[in-house]
Amino acid sequence: MRERWTAVWRGLRYLLVNLVCGLATLPLLPFAALPAAAPGLRRWAAWNRRRAAALLGVPAPATGPGRWWGVEFALTGAVIGFAAFLAAGRVVAAPVWWLYPADRPLVLLAPVDGWGPALGFGAVALVLLVAGAPPVARGHARRTLAGPADLDRLTDRLTERVAELGESRAAVLDAHGAELRRIERDLHDGTQARLVALAIRLGVAREALGDRGPVADLLREAHEGAEDAMVELREVIRTMYPPILADRGLGGALAALGARCDVPVELRLDGTGELPAALEAAAYFIVAEALTNVAKHSRASQATVRVERAGGVLLVEVADDGVGGVDETRGTGVVGIRRRAAALDGALRVSSPHGGPTRLVVELPCAS
Amino acid sequence: MRVVIAEDNVLLSSGVELLLAAKGIEVPEVAADGPGFVAAVRRHRPDVTIVDVRLPPTFRDEGIRAALEARRASPGLPILVLSQYVERVYARELLADGGGAVGYLLKDRVARVSEFVAALRTVAAGGTVMDPEVVAQLMSGRERRIDALTAREREVLTLMAQGRDNTDIGARLTITGSAVHKHIGNIFTKLGLPPEEGGHRRVLAVLAFLGSER
Repeated sequence: MRERWTAVWRGLRYLLVNLVCGLATLPLLPFAALPAAAPGLRRWAAWNRRRAAALLGVPAPATGPGRWWGVEFALTGAVIGFAAFLAAGRVVAAPVWWLYPADRPLVLLAPVDGWGPALGFGAVALVLLVAGAPPVARGHARRTLAGPADLDRLTDRLTERVAELGESRAAVLDAHGAELRRIERDLHDGTQARLVALAIRLGVAREALGDRGPVADLLREAHEGAEDAMVELREVIRTMYPPILADRGLGGALAALGARCDVPVELRLDGTGELPAALEAAAYFIVAEALTNVAKHSRASQATVRVERAGGVLLVEVADDGVGGVDETRGTGVVGIRRRAAALDGALRVSSPHGGPTRLVVELPCAS
Repeated sequence: MRVVIAEDNVLLSSGVELLLAAKGIEVPEVAADGPGFVAAVRRHRPDVTIVDVRLPPTFRDEGIRAALEARRASPGLPILVLSQYVERVYARELLADGGGAVGYLLKDRVARVSEFVAALRTVAAGGTVMDPEVVAQLMSGRERRIDALTAREREVLTLMAQGRDNTDIGARLTITGSAVHKHIGNIFTKLGLPPEEGGHRRVLAVLAFLGSER
């Protein structure tokens, strides 16, 4: 019985302190977003949550409160606390109903004008308090502690998962790029070499046989077929992984692109170091498409290609002094660049006012 | 004619040897890498060399480097470079010393046996032979200047850049030699090149124009 009263008292005390603290928290909420307020708010939250932990008899939480803790605590603390205050107030006031003036009597559920209703209403309030205060207080305390902590655990798990996915994605891209490079090698040095060797033999046979007769026709067809296959193979390889990238690296490959462009291109390559193959290929294709646009539409007299690695980002910038007005909805050049950037979780920014100049910036994440 | 080959792929080198043997051309040595090639050139003093761009150990552009090195050791050494793909920066590097006797062809072209051997002989004789794809790449980069040329003049320019002489160009386009001569005069005037020069020097002039940095 005594424990019961202790529990009621502790619950009631917890709820009444919540009423005060909740009301005190309300005017602070508008400042919660300010960075300067953050440490104070964290300490305030920690103190309140220690009270909740003490009520429940559990250790105080190690993680910080959730984002909306302040709002929730202020509102629930004030409202539930106020209800507890009302109930407790009635229990206290009922026995002294006779102290109230006759023309302004104590009002519980109805005006109190004798011992009968006073004790009746008082008893109802007391029963509510005894039965309700401990579970409501514990419930509120659990919410104060557990809710935000759950959110934290979820956030932690999500953050961890995002990091894991980011890593595995980078690994997959890296493997994919390396695989493309290997396939390019295999096709060029294996398949293409076989085709050339085959075509040479067919060519020698054709010359030896002359060009008359049904066999000569068959040989000619076979010879031309082999040649067509070589052209197709080369085209496939070129769009899959530019061979110059394998031979000369990103710098050499971009220099080759610049040399091929109708507009003079200045190339600036700053400390890119060793890059994953997929990233190199993406940068190459992006610059190739951008320079094609420059040559076709810009009427520029000078273009600049800048590739730079800084803080986990590979920056690819293609700028020209042309007429501007690049319209993403027309033509496929910029759309293609955006797609390539997006495939590597990168972003594209285009600035091209009418009258120029045009500046196209792609940022690709790359682990450093 | 004696030819030294730098090619690590046995399938390819045996094919090329077979082809050259059919044309009565002697191959004293096939080197499998750059240093081997430079040594073989020193040893055999060939009339012309055939070099694959990709050679061991890294299979990048060792062939180009080896060719340029052999050329420094033996100035004027005729070199025909074969490549899986053509890239005009390689053409420019090969042409850089202005000495002629340079060829740069896709590997595919070897299968056109007679044309390939003709190209080889042109290079051996000090001429310049560029793959049509290189010429196309060079032309596509100069659209504005080339725009001034008529379609026929562009055809003549392409054939010239491949190292063909007037007679050959006339035969291919079925026009007379004097018509070819007139077209070439117009081309040189329109492109602002010095008056026509003979042999590989005119090819170089055209390629230098096409490949020049402005």
